[in-house]
Amino acid sequence: MGQSITVENLQAWYGEQLTLREISMDVDANQVTAIIGPSGCGKSTFIRCLNRLHETIPQGKVRGRVRLGTEDLYAMDPVDVRRVVGMVFQKPNPFPTMSIYENVAIGLKLGGIRNKSELLDRVEQSLRMAALWDEVKDRLHKPAVALSGGQQQRLCIARALAVEPEVLLMDEPASALDPVSTLRVEELVLQLKERYTILIVTHNMQQAARIADKTAFFLNGELIEYGDTTTMFTKPADKRTEDYITGRFG
Amino acid sequence: MRKVSSASKTADKVFRVATGLCASSPVLFLVAIGIVVFIESVPSIKFMGWHFLTGTQWNLGDMYGNLEVKNGVSAPAGATYGALPYIVGTLASSVIALLIAVPVAIFTAIILAYRVRGPVKTVLSILVELLAGIPSVVFGLWGVIVLAPWVAQFFGPLLTHLGVVIPFFRGPVGTGMGLLSSGLILALMIVPIITATTRDLLEQVPILYREGGIGLGMTNWEVVRKICLPYVKDGLIGAVALGWGRAMGETMAVLMVSGSAINYLPHSIFSPISTMAAVIADQLDSALTDATHLAVHALAELALVLMLLTLITNFLARWLVHRGGQRVRSGVRA
Ligand SMILES: Nc1ncnc2c1ncn2[C@@H]1O[C@H](COP(=O)(O)OP(=O)(O)OP(=O)(O)O)[C@@H](O)[C@H]1O
Ligand SMILES: [Mg+2]
Repeated sequence: MGQSITVENLQAWYGEQLTLREISMDVDANQVTAIIGPSGCGKSTFIRCLNRLHETIPQGKVRGRVRLGTEDLYAMDPVDVRRVVGMVFQKPNPFPTMSIYENVAIGLKLGGIRNKSELLDRVEQSLRMAALWDEVKDRLHKPAVALSGGQQQRLCIARALAVEPEVLLMDEPASALDPVSTLRVEELVLQLKERYTILIVTHNMQQAARIADKTAFFLNGELIEYGDTTTMFTKPADKRTEDYITGRFG
Repeated sequence: MRKVSSASKTADKVFRVATGLCASSPVLFLVAIGIVVFIESVPSIKFMGWHFLTGTQWNLGDMYGNLEVKNGVSAPAGATYGALPYIVGTLASSVIALLIAVPVAIFTAIILAYRVRGPVKTVLSILVELLAGIPSVVFGLWGVIVLAPWVAQFFGPLLTHLGVVIPFFRGPVGTGMGLLSSGLILALMIVPIITATTRDLLEQVPILYREGGIGLGMTNWEVVRKICLPYVKDGLIGAVALGWGRAMGETMAVLMVSGSAINYLPHSIFSPISTMAAVIADQLDSALTDATHLAVHALAELALVLMLLTLITNFLARWLVHRGGQRVRSGVRA
């Protein structure tokens, strides 16, 4: 099952540059939350704070509180956090030296699963969830980089799902994909929300409208507006939100 | 239509010839040196045949006595050139050097590439480069004054305890000048080159893949082991081959700490040895006094074997890489 996320006064820096200013928002469990906003407004930085990836880059600094369910995310071991909060990146990044099978199995192996048939079962299950199984079942042991971009991205989704996280962060997962692959990823997101809490960054307004229960609009590192997607797209409360979604800037 | 002036066309021609020459110069040098060394070795090859590679005696013969003729080559009476001890010495000392240097260099490179930043990283990198810049003879001197006594009095006796399980570690330790000291000093000399190359390789691993690993809940070490090292494997093997070549060809420092064993096959890690490169440097003077010049030809053949051995190790490394690559492609790695 998914977990809720509570963000309180989250601030993030790159060196001296304050990139996120006092973000507070509650993300409901088992819902799809879209993060929208113009380029450079801090969307990626925000979701990278939620699996503690931001602090791994040089000069990356975070302050504030994030709770996963009732647990303080920043009091947990970061490695544990990332097993519970999975991530799919903007560019498909299957591990290039590994096969399709190995890409999905690696997280399971690191989690201590050794049994061959159990591994294969879990890999199949994850690939099915990511709607990739039928396309790759005959070439599981071929290199992952031989897949198309869209397949690679679904492989990355399978890889993230295999370790059974509670939250799935997706940073523009469809931005490098063609319309058909994009649609498949969107269908996938809708199916997956039964089991996971999903945060998805997107530049595509229609996409947000299609799949998100709630939408958050970021601008210059601030959370401008956050609420029900339909309300936000029909009756935005803030002038800046309206300007953005009507395409007046960004 | 405007025409390009003929002057700039000439310049282009000159440029093309010049770049062509420069580009082919490595090949030209390699071929030229190879040919010279080969021609110089011919008399010795005729004289010794395969025994050059299997013989253990290196004897210039009686230079003031009669000449004898064998296989159409005249030589001082009793002359024989068996290079096996030096081939073994070269291989053994360089392999010991690799066994020590490769892990050390890889760990140092990992630390330099991922674990330290800012001034610490700069200082450490400079130190590694400085180490690479120390002249060979200084390493040798340090080896004689510090390393050999340390091996003789402390490290060697410690290792002999392993002799119970591994016969090659059995004493006596002796003077400390020998195979172990040669290996250690060679390790020290090749660590910088392997470290610097590996660090550069690791820094080129796209952050995308590393973050993919981190995002999956891998520890730093797991990211390095599962993602970064496999990613740079090809280059890494190249770096090791480079280091190996250096270790086999290194002359001065080895000459100083090897114990300069002649006609003696090492039977323990403490045995005095000689390497091909060291023997060439060491024996050239006396070889030049051979009126038949055969001794010089024999040294040339030694150089030829050394060159071939370096080439073979290089190709071996490349072949390993290639085979590894195929395994990934056919997916056996999973
Ligand atoms: N590694 C970094 N070092 C320094 N500054 C960075 C770094 N990454 C991002 N920034 C800065 O932080 C701000 C927010 O970046 P972020 O990547 O979060 O934006 P984004 O909303 O995801 O943009 P996009 O839609 O283009 O992906 C930008 O001004 C960017 O220049
Ligand atoms: Mg982004």
